[in-house]
Amino acid sequence: MNRPTPSTSSTRQSGFAWRIYRRLAQAFPHEFKLAYGADVMQLGEDVIDEIAKRHGAAGLVRLIADIAIRVPLEYLSEMRGDMRYAMRALLKSPGFALVGIISMGLGIGLTTNVYSSKWAMLFRDLPGAANAKDLVMMQQSADSDLAAVSYYYIEQFREQKSLFTGVAAFETGIPFNVTFQGNLSGKPERVFGQLVSPDYFSVLGVQPQRGRVFSATADRSGDAPFVVISDRFWRNRLNSSPNAIGQILRLNGQIATIVGITPKNFNGALAINPSELFVSITAPAALAPELANDVLHQRNAKEFLAMMCLAPGVTIESAEAGLDAITRRLDEQDSSMAKRTDQGRRVTLLPAGTSVPIPRKLKPALIGFFVALMGLVIALACMNLANMLMARGANRRKELAIRLSVGASRFRLVRQMMSEGILLSMLGGVAGFALAFGLGALNAHFRPPTTLQFETNFYLDWHAGLFAFGLAIICGVGFSLAPALQATKADLTSALKEGSALQLPGYRRIGLRNLLMVVQVAASLMLLLMTGFLVMGISKGTNIQTKFDPSTMVLLSLDPVRDGYSAEKAQGLFEKLPEHLKSTGQVRNIALAAQPPFTSEPERTSLSAEDSPGSSQVVQQVLEETVGAGYFATLNESMLAGRDFALPDERSYADASNALPAVLNESAARGFFGNGNALGKRVRDDKQTYDVVGVVRDMKDLEGLSQSIIYLPLTSRDFARPPGGGITILVRSDAGASPATDVLSAIRNEIALIDPNLNIVNMQTLRSYLDRSRAALRFSIQTYGGIGVFGLVLAAIGLAGVTAYAVAQRRKEIAIRTALGASRAQVLGLVLREGTALVGVGTLLGFLGAVGLAKVVSSLANLFADALKIGTNDPLLLVGAPSLLAAVALLACYVPARRAVKIDPLKALRDE
Amino acid sequence: MTRVNPQKFIPLKTHWFHIMLSIAGGEQHGYGIMQEVLNRTTGKVRLWPATLYGSVKRLIEAGLIEESAERPAPELDDARRRYYCLTPMGRRVLDAECERLQELVRTIQEKQGRVKQGLVTE
Repeated sequence: MNRPTPSTSSTRQSGFAWRIYRRLAQAFPHEFKLAYGADVMQLGEDVIDEIAKRHGAAGLVRLIADIAIRVPLEYLSEMRGDMRYAMRALLKSPGFALVGIISMGLGIGLTTNVYSSKWAMLFRDLPGAANAKDLVMMQQSADSDLAAVSYYYIEQFREQKSLFTGVAAFETGIPFNVTFQGNLSGKPERVFGQLVSPDYFSVLGVQPQRGRVFSATADRSGDAPFVVISDRFWRNRLNSSPNAIGQILRLNGQIATIVGITPKNFNGALAINPSELFVSITAPAALAPELANDVLHQRNAKEFLAMMCLAPGVTIESAEAGLDAITRRLDEQDSSMAKRTDQGRRVTLLPAGTSVPIPRKLKPALIGFFVALMGLVIALACMNLANMLMARGANRRKELAIRLSVGASRFRLVRQMMSEGILLSMLGGVAGFALAFGLGALNAHFRPPTTLQFETNFYLDWHAGLFAFGLAIICGVGFSLAPALQATKADLTSALKEGSALQLPGYRRIGLRNLLMVVQVAASLMLLLMTGFLVMGISKGTNIQTKFDPSTMVLLSLDPVRDGYSAEKAQGLFEKLPEHLKSTGQVRNIALAAQPPFTSEPERTSLSAEDSPGSSQVVQQVLEETVGAGYFATLNESMLAGRDFALPDERSYADASNALPAVLNESAARGFFGNGNALGKRVRDDKQTYDVVGVVRDMKDLEGLSQSIIYLPLTSRDFARPPGGGITILVRSDAGASPATDVLSAIRNEIALIDPNLNIVNMQTLRSYLDRSRAALRFSIQTYGGIGVFGLVLAAIGLAGVTAYAVAQRRKEIAIRTALGASRAQVLGLVLREGTALVGVGTLLGFLGAVGLAKVVSSLANLFADALKIGTNDPLLLVGAPSLLAAVALLACYVPARRAVKIDPLKALRDE
Repeated sequence: MTRVNPQKFIPLKTHWFHIMLSIAGGEQHGYGIMQEVLNRTTGKVRLWPATLYGSVKRLIEAGLIEESAERPAPELDDARRRYYCLTPMGRRVLDAECERLQELVRTIQEKQGRVKQGLVTE
């Protein structure tokens, strides 16, 4: 359009504004441009000079702003219209919509659940800890547990200001018997917390939501005991009382005052074991047995975990090197330690700002595993929906051809078709979020019986919501774009001529749909096999075989020190307890232990043996269980060599000058001494020497793992400072003698006679203990199994849809063949042939992919190696799973293929 | 055809009201509507081009206005322009809106009168 020659001084401004106006007018949506584009341009041209004259630059800006705002509004308006159209289309095809929503719901729900539970646990920063990204902790070695050090070491580390801004000491999983203000002499509740140095909260960067946290200046030795409670403790146990600060609690019989409440969702460092109470290590030793014997000043009391905050600009590698040199120097200065001549790294640091500190080498493997798992699940759902949308798009080809030929833009039609996919995906996202919520609730319900609490309260927060929403949008765009582009391909003439029954190009060649189908079958099989490997591995491995009926054994725990007993009184109690319990007449065998039997949470230690064959010193990482007299006899386990522990062993005193007796299991004995006799040999850790007095068979733990174990005797030290679960008492009665309930109540009565104030914890039969652990494992199996079945079902739906569509498309061809004399079997074979080829190729690729992936994951992460090793060697699974998938897939093809043989040739040809 | 209740559109959006009022007396094109509104409101309300045609589009979709088949006399006609007029439904909606606004004005005047008479404290 030609503008009249301008004559005013605002010509330049008007010209510039006009150019922008014209560009913006071109940006309107196609339909708006067709209807009103010319009018908008004309009107703009008419008024621009007048506006420039009357309002100047401000008016021109206002003119541009008007059109600039209107352009996106028109797009939004069209999108709203597209969504309404998509909703009507989905309502007209309820079957398709339901399958789509369920597919996406399952995919997004499972993925969101994995993300919010596993991912959040592993990778999200500790809530409330401002310094999370700079926190590190020490490992004993690159593959093992966190390293405990003495408080002296921590003080030395703290001096390294060039490496760390702060180093805090803490102990976690500390049990407290707690009674509350207003009921201080009532029955205590067992609550787990942490003992922390006064600078703990400042090192983590945690600010209280109420009151104060500990500080090095405010909290010193000799002060009255204070306690900081977690938000969870405040809400659940104090009903969010506004007067919580200043309230009194009785912890292990001692009075302590609440001075602060931590931020919401902060449950301490190592939050996988959530802590509800935080007590300063400056508190009186009577408050916690862990603080007894002046532990802060004992140079060789390796009781504390070190939490370090890196100084600005310091990398974890340089801090590791610096800390290694310091540790080496401190070790050399410690005369009580065995001399180490190895030159290898003594200190490994790992990032500790998450709920579970993950070794740096393991992190990529874990990330890869979860991304692969989530990716597979969501990709399956998307592929399935892409196939279904392609079939739908092909059915609308004539309608789309007409619309294209009368002037609709391809971009507009693609957008409209994608709206259906995006809407389906978002509805699936809502369903999926609800599913994730349900799965989270079920996760929390099935808790394994462990001494320490494990965090299962994975709330679905805005992170998970955003994740689900983002996933839904990406999936919606992803699976609907290709079908929309396919359906709007511009071959108008043939589309108008042949109508909707158009043979899509490439059905007999490698086309997009066939490729999608092969990939879907392969991915389904990979998912089925991977989850199958894990399921088989878990279920085969966890069958604990006891040599007696587990319902004849009762387990219970006592923690008299935390009920207010002195160390000596506690020892006296445990010395006389077996006799008392035997006097009930219900008891055949009784033994004490520091942990329940078959525990999957044992301590780990590094032992060396001086008498190994070949006169070289063997050092092994072994698990450590501390057990009392007659432990193995109580479990009905005969010794393979030597003897069980006896009462005199319990009365030993553990110190560096005398050797304690120890029992090894087969794996440990073989690891140190080969096939030679282990009896009489010596092993030692860095504190104590042990004489091997017995060898026992390998016993699996609750996770189905058999590992090298050293059994140490319970000593006065353990009675004085019971572990987190208290001292476990194993009581076995004669089979058939009395029902378990009678035995339980007899024991309870006897303990009440000894002292009615003793708190009995976790009293149950061994059978119910094992059942509870299996319930949690069964839930894991069901979850993994469910994921595998999900893949299978989706593949079946996809294949059925593809075959049904193929039958509809080839109706004319089939009709002609039938009219020319093809038999029913020939027609069926024709239709099934392509489906079988797709299934065959997909199965082969999926099998190779699953086995390869299992090997890669196993080599990268010991975490899954054991379960995967059992699973990948299971012939039933290796043959069964592909066969199952192939059978289901072929059945899915066969059912719609049968429709082909029922086509009436006359009717089919006439309809054309 | 199902009869739509005019009350569904009440209260009318300001721009819609001004556009419909402009064409109440006869068909008009976009530029004419813009000028008429500007003059009627003594410059207080300016319908910017994109907003005007966005509103025209929605008014047509709502069935309140339509493109006019009739055009003014040749000497007054502008061939480049498209003319719009009210539909019967649009007229009913406009009447309903005018009635509502008049009722509002009556209420305000009544209140002001009573305040002046000292019958109601402010």
